[in-house]
Amino acid sequence: MILLEPHNVIIQTTLSEKITKPASVDVQFVDYDGVRFHLSTPERKSVLLLSMHIRCWDELVQYGAIDVLRREYGALLQPQPEPEYSVSLEIDLEQLPASPEDRDAFVMSIALFKRNALAAPFEHAFASQKGLESAATGSGELMQIHYRDEEAIYIQASHDRVTVIFSTVFRDETDRIYGKVFLQEFVDARRQPSIQNAPQVLYSNRDPPLEIRHLPDLRNTEDTGYVTFVLFPRHFGNATVASGTISHIQLFRDYLHYHIKCSKAYMHSRMRHRVAEFQKVLNRAKTEVATGEKKTVSGRTLVTR
Amino acid sequence: MSNVLRPYLAAVRSTLTAALTLENFSSQVVERHNKPEVEVGGSKEVLLTPLTISRNENERVLIEPSVNSIRLSIKIKQADEIERILCHKFTRFMMQRAENFIVLRRKPVQGYDISFLITNTHSETMLKHKIVDFIIQFMEDVDREISEMKLSLNARARIVAESYLTAFNS
Repeated sequence: MILLEPHNVIIQTTLSEKITKPASVDVQFVDYDGVRFHLSTPERKSVLLLSMHIRCWDELVQYGAIDVLRREYGALLQPQPEPEYSVSLEIDLEQLPASPEDRDAFVMSIALFKRNALAAPFEHAFASQKGLESAATGSGELMQIHYRDEEAIYIQASHDRVTVIFSTVFRDETDRIYGKVFLQEFVDARRQPSIQNAPQVLYSNRDPPLEIRHLPDLRNTEDTGYVTFVLFPRHFGNATVASGTISHIQLFRDYLHYHIKCSKAYMHSRMRHRVAEFQKVLNRAKTEVATGEKKTVSGRTLVTR
Repeated sequence: MSNVLRPYLAAVRSTLTAALTLENFSSQVVERHNKPEVEVGGSKEVLLTPLTISRNENERVLIEPSVNSIRLSIKIKQADEIERILCHKFTRFMMQRAENFIVLRRKPVQGYDISFLITNTHSETMLKHKIVDFIIQFMEDVDREISEMKLSLNARARIVAESYLTAFNS
């Protein structure tokens, strides 16, 4: 359970349930980075409408999200999304693949809805790197995806690599310090021989990397940091590796924060244990209260009421 | 316990034992009040000379005795940012449970991380040498606990980073 999964478990379970037993449904749920989903059966029990609201949809469209989603979902993609949502899929339960394996694969592809939408700029960058490779110089467009209120992903292709920069903001002082420890380890871990092939990770606190230094809307306060991943062609050489890399790198922020929270929880349980130990030591100092039977001189027992 | 720590704790132990000679003492200022004089500070003649025992510039203990109460404040070693935050969290966690730790003060004295207040009632209802034992045990364990927490945070961070980066290879 160290790594997070790229698919949405609620979509997966609800959809598999409805495939075996169609019923009317109307659920709203969320995913990482403030993504909202709405799964409903507006007309018939067998036709499900899945809508997603994603904060940076306009930017994603600009980098070709519609094309990626059309490639993944084909005719399921609705031309007109549900009101208040960015994009909608219509799933007809009567026209599903017949074999159980195909069905599972189909459900999984729906559960990767958010991942596929966010994949567009990465695919765009990988493609433009291929284009620039022959030129052996120059760099592609700098893509900005403001996927959270204060945090963004910046992607830029150049002739020999693709640079992915995450800006991170830690609200809490403790998170900031824990985050620093974790990010430092990300930078150092690559020295291990077994992970030499992993992308290079750079971390800078406060000062943005050169690639994005010219952008106007950066807030460079003490609590911001920038994490740069340098992806080389071996990380997106063939289609399977590329899609694995995309799924994995998208979850970087969630992964980092998840583990920061886990560490905090662990520290807390540790402190609880230690404080209980101290309590025991202090209790030893308390004098025993005599609880034996009290008798009067004549031999009668005293009872306190 | 390391050899460097031992004389420091021994000094605290003997000073604290010597200072724990408390007696019931009613307020001289307000009739029918009986308060820890070290906290009230109303009458100077019942306060004794405060004493600081320093191990180094970052670790010290302040003992402020008075006729009916004694206040002991500890400054815990904080080498870096992580230790600072862990120490802060740990002491806060304890002080929020101050009613269980009868001798613990809810707020530390300015310049220290945690304070204890032992009054004459405490020394009458509890065994004096055991209270001293508790404080020494606390000082001994708190350093170890903080450095262990720091190590475990680093170890976790390393595993997390490695498993994330290893996944790129597959």
